Amino acid sequence: MSTNLIQNYISKPQQPTVKPKPDFDIQQELNNRTFIKPLKGKGKLLSGNILYAPVDTFRDITYSFKALGHAAKGKANDHELGKLNDLGMMAGGLSIAGYLFTKKTTPLTKGMEFVGLGSFFASMAIWPKIAIQLPAYLIHGVNVQKQYQDSFGRRKPFYQDPQFIPWDLYSDKEIDKIGDRLGVPKNIPNRRDFIQEKMRKLAVQNNTLWMLTAGFATPIMSALICNQAEPYLLRYQNNQKNKKADQILTNLNEHAKKYQTNPAQNRIAEIIKKHGNQPINDELIETITNALTADIDSVTSESFGKDLQAILSNGRYSVSDTTAKNVTANLQAQFAGKGFTKEFLEAVLPKEAEMIQFFKDNGFTGNSFQQVEHTEISNKIVEEIVKRANIFNQAHPDDAEDIGYIRELISANRTEEHPIAKALSEVRASLLDETAQSKLKKLAGILDNFRAKNLALDEYALIKVGSAPETVIANYWNNVSQELMKSLGFTTSEIEKVRFNRNLMGELLRGKLEQIASDKSAYDRVMGILVEKVGALNSQIKPNDLASHMLTDTGSQTTYEKEVQTQFNHFAQQLRENGFVRAAQSIIGNGQNENGSYIRIQKAFVEDRLLGVKSSFNRLISTLDLYRRIATDPNKLTHINPDLPLVREVKEELIELCKIVMLEGHSSDHATKFYMLRNPNPSTDTSPLEVAGGKVKNKYLGHAVEGTADISTDKYFYQNAMKFMFMDDIHPDTRAILERNVSIRDEFTRYRQLIIEKLGGDKYFAKPRHLISGKNQTGSDIKFLLTGIAPDEFFFKAGQQAFNTKKWLKMFGGFGAGLLGVTVLAQFFLGRLKTPRQVKND
Amino acid sequence: MILAVNNHNNKINFSAEDKKKKSLEYNHDTLLNNNFATRTKIGIDKLTNALTVYPAKGLKGSKNANFYEFLTMGTVPYIIGSITMMSVFNSANKHFAPFAKTKASALGQKMALGVLFYGLLKSASKSLVSKPVQMITGIDTERPYAKVIYELPDDINDTDITSIEHHKVFESVEFPRWDLLYGDEAKGQKRNYRYDKIAKKLGMGENLNDSDQEVKPRIKEIVIKTNLAKNISSYLWAATGVGIAFQKPWENFFNVMTFKFWKGKEFKKCLQSFGHNFVESVKDFWKGEGKGFSKHAGKALVGAAALTTVLGVINAVSHKSTNTKNTVNKNEGYVVS
Repeated sequence: MSTNLIQNYISKPQQPTVKPKPDFDIQQELNNRTFIKPLKGKGKLLSGNILYAPVDTFRDITYSFKALGHAAKGKANDHELGKLNDLGMMAGGLSIAGYLFTKKTTPLTKGMEFVGLGSFFASMAIWPKIAIQLPAYLIHGVNVQKQYQDSFGRRKPFYQDPQFIPWDLYSDKEIDKIGDRLGVPKNIPNRRDFIQEKMRKLAVQNNTLWMLTAGFATPIMSALICNQAEPYLLRYQNNQKNKKADQILTNLNEHAKKYQTNPAQNRIAEIIKKHGNQPINDELIETITNALTADIDSVTSESFGKDLQAILSNGRYSVSDTTAKNVTANLQAQFAGKGFTKEFLEAVLPKEAEMIQFFKDNGFTGNSFQQVEHTEISNKIVEEIVKRANIFNQAHPDDAEDIGYIRELISANRTEEHPIAKALSEVRASLLDETAQSKLKKLAGILDNFRAKNLALDEYALIKVGSAPETVIANYWNNVSQELMKSLGFTTSEIEKVRFNRNLMGELLRGKLEQIASDKSAYDRVMGILVEKVGALNSQIKPNDLASHMLTDTGSQTTYEKEVQTQFNHFAQQLRENGFVRAAQSIIGNGQNENGSYIRIQKAFVEDRLLGVKSSFNRLISTLDLYRRIATDPNKLTHINPDLPLVREVKEELIELCKIVMLEGHSSDHATKFYMLRNPNPSTDTSPLEVAGGKVKNKYLGHAVEGTADISTDKYFYQNAMKFMFMDDIHPDTRAILERNVSIRDEFTRYRQLIIEKLGGDKYFAKPRHLISGKNQTGSDIKFLLTGIAPDEFFFKAGQQAFNTKKWLKMFGGFGAGLLGVTVLAQFFLGRLKTPRQVKND
Repeated sequence: MILAVNNHNNKINFSAEDKKKKSLEYNHDTLLNNNFATRTKIGIDKLTNALTVYPAKGLKGSKNANFYEFLTMGTVPYIIGSITMMSVFNSANKHFAPFAKTKASALGQKMALGVLFYGLLKSASKSLVSKPVQMITGIDTERPYAKVIYELPDDINDTDITSIEHHKVFESVEFPRWDLLYGDEAKGQKRNYRYDKIAKKLGMGENLNDSDQEVKPRIKEIVIKTNLAKNISSYLWAATGVGIAFQKPWENFFNVMTFKFWKGKEFKKCLQSFGHNFVESVKDFWKGEGKGFSKHAGKALVGAAALTTVLGVINAVSHKSTNTKNTVNKNEGYVVS
């Protein structure tokens, strides 16, 4: 019989308890033999509760930074060093996002860098939870990503090392419960071991599945999160930006402070440093003008230069030895190559030293003269030359030169061409003295103050209506174009077919419009959305703040215009007070007319932008309305001259033209009065037009037997087309929808009138009588803006954008969904173990 | 006396069919030289296993699956993730209209290059810390060794029960493989010759009685500090790589980029363009554009990476002596308080 060691140990007499010494007493420990027992474990399983996620995150971050401190001192353990990798990855990620943030130019792209970083880390964390942990738990009842806390308080994955799983942390009851969920029979031998093995197997398989899928899932999931987050971020930034812009206008002085960098004052200080107390010549005037007006338009800058010349100059020019030298040089250049002998030139033209002496003898040198006095000086020099010529002629009668020719050579109407006057006008007598310097400094201060205010106004205008990415109007445009794509029912496959060709998009769009126009409920829905979307712009850019007066009747100046007027008037007033009369006029106009002035440029920018955008959307309303009118009653042409009724074939041509013009026409088509190949000998059939499904049933169009040509003499065809498109009553359905939004209704009405007036009155030399309401002198820019973007072009661009997003989403969204499906389905093949034979109960 | 478990001399054989026994390169845990050839060999071995053997074992739920295999499989998401990342930004571009395609491709290709540079610089930059530390202290924190694993047989016919894992001597700072650093006296090596060298380099003296005991705490401290420096600086160098990849000159390279190495002339031009545009991109990255912080962001990033590297090395090699009460009296050979 073997010795029972346990019994021996129990029966052994216990050592008397000795009070332990304060420090570790090895003898005490040996006597008690407690050292051979393992310490009682303090580890525990952690229950993952989503509510504690923020606390866990905070704890993890704190732990990581503590680990950093320990590692820096060389005292970290393996677990802490592992956490430092996460910290490094975070630092690297933030560095990448931070750097790319600086490379991006718009707030959205900048913001998306950090969204991208966050989504990447989130995807790394979320994927194993939703694709691995959750399905495994739901299917098998096992949390394969269970965490535990070891005796040192370190949080670790329970199944991190399959060879060393701390099973003792699970009680029998818990294991049995999991076993029941796993479907393990109750009465098998070593049931706990079997359940544990099944759990281990599941965990190993799932960890492998995680490693194999994470590489695909993380970038795709991150990209999908970004894709979905982008519109929200854009909307948020748009609102913030819009609010910020409004604040600029309400508190312009405060906002302008950030632009108060005083560049003009700095530049003037540099000039004074370099040219102080030096004569003011044309070159210096130009340098000063450029320094002062670097941020101002060229017309105003030119006026500034002229004013500056008058203010800084006393109208007198200095004469010095240099002047005499320059006169000599100019005379020699003037006489060179004119056939004079060398002897003649040497004898007649005073040499440099002689000229200097001549100037001194006549009291020119060291004095200053007005420009009118230059003639007198010039005459004296000429007479001296003539005197010398006469002497030469007398001495050399054979080589005598014509005195009249000599006088002619030294004369010129323009100062810069006169060899003497030019040299005399080179150096102004005025200096950049303290008085001039003081004037310039004051002026620079005025300009810098205005510049700061003007830049703040520019910022406001740019945020609201700038032709740049992510301005309020650009965001609005993108948003509406995508919404309208949906409303009109464009499918991805349709867009895919037409996305490279505007004409194909035009055909597709025409089909959509005809279909919608033929169905009242569809028409009401689409037109309702269109009017609502067009109206939304007025809530983002309020007409009281910014408006195109051509389209919108605001009654008075907008807030922006008032502020512009205040700042520009104040600036002009200050300039006028300092003698800059021409510049002041260039800035605000002559009091009756702003045309060509700086203030007009400032105001016109926003007006033109709004006119272009609003015209584009009004054109869409107009197009859809026209298609509706044609779909319901194509024979209703109210403005046709009753004396010249249209035959059916011409009507067919007219309606086809109108459909095309509304859909595809540019301002150049209006300018050339609609070139169209028509039948010169149309049928005399006057039967009414018929429609089906929004399309006219053409009986004659396209069937001209004798060929077609543009009939340039038929002004009525043009007039009828324009009247049908823009003067005939809009459809009652359209009117009913427009009545819901009075401001849009009024803008639309005004738009139609403007088209007739401005485009209809555009005189084209090849078709001079093709006018609607008399000749109009509107510039081509306004005509271009009124025409707006053609609907086919509008949807062509919007379609490409929509296609790109959808294509990408389809590719990677589909792949992501497939990956998730496969990963989840894989669970059904995991954790399979042959169940041991059950113990039979007798 | 409790003896350390040592199985390298055991002739374990669980099967009668001895002739099928696999011949392994090592029959016991073996210290390896840290040179390019070994690193490449280990890299290929680990990568091959990570893509083939370990996933197969893992998906079967093998009883021999272990933490090393799980960690080694961590390479798989890195590789697949990099390719997927490149794909996310490039695959759909061919379906776009020409202008959008050009714009998207320029960005996508930079992204792809960024992913590549991220991996390359992250990996290569570790040497910027470990090599100087090795030169100054004599401690090779990256020293590899081959570990022979004896597995449980899957069934009675399974004779392939050994495998090799490639670890690093100091991959665990709590349990470094000190034993592998001892010299083999059978081969005429001094038992502590490696520790002697380190002690000398660290200025702890020569001909120490127990150099191993003397230097082990210092080695541990240096390894921890080196790991810290590598962890932080390598990610910043990786970020620098991404920054360089996002410079405009690369767009010139993308125009001539080709992987058709068999077309000599084109491929040569491609390589030349890569070199030229790499230099230009580094210059642009350094110079920056715009104003304010944007202008200096590149410098800041390189500066941060370089600073963490330099400070990391300085911290790793510097040692603050602690005034402990108990010290070893080297002459007397006992502890004094």
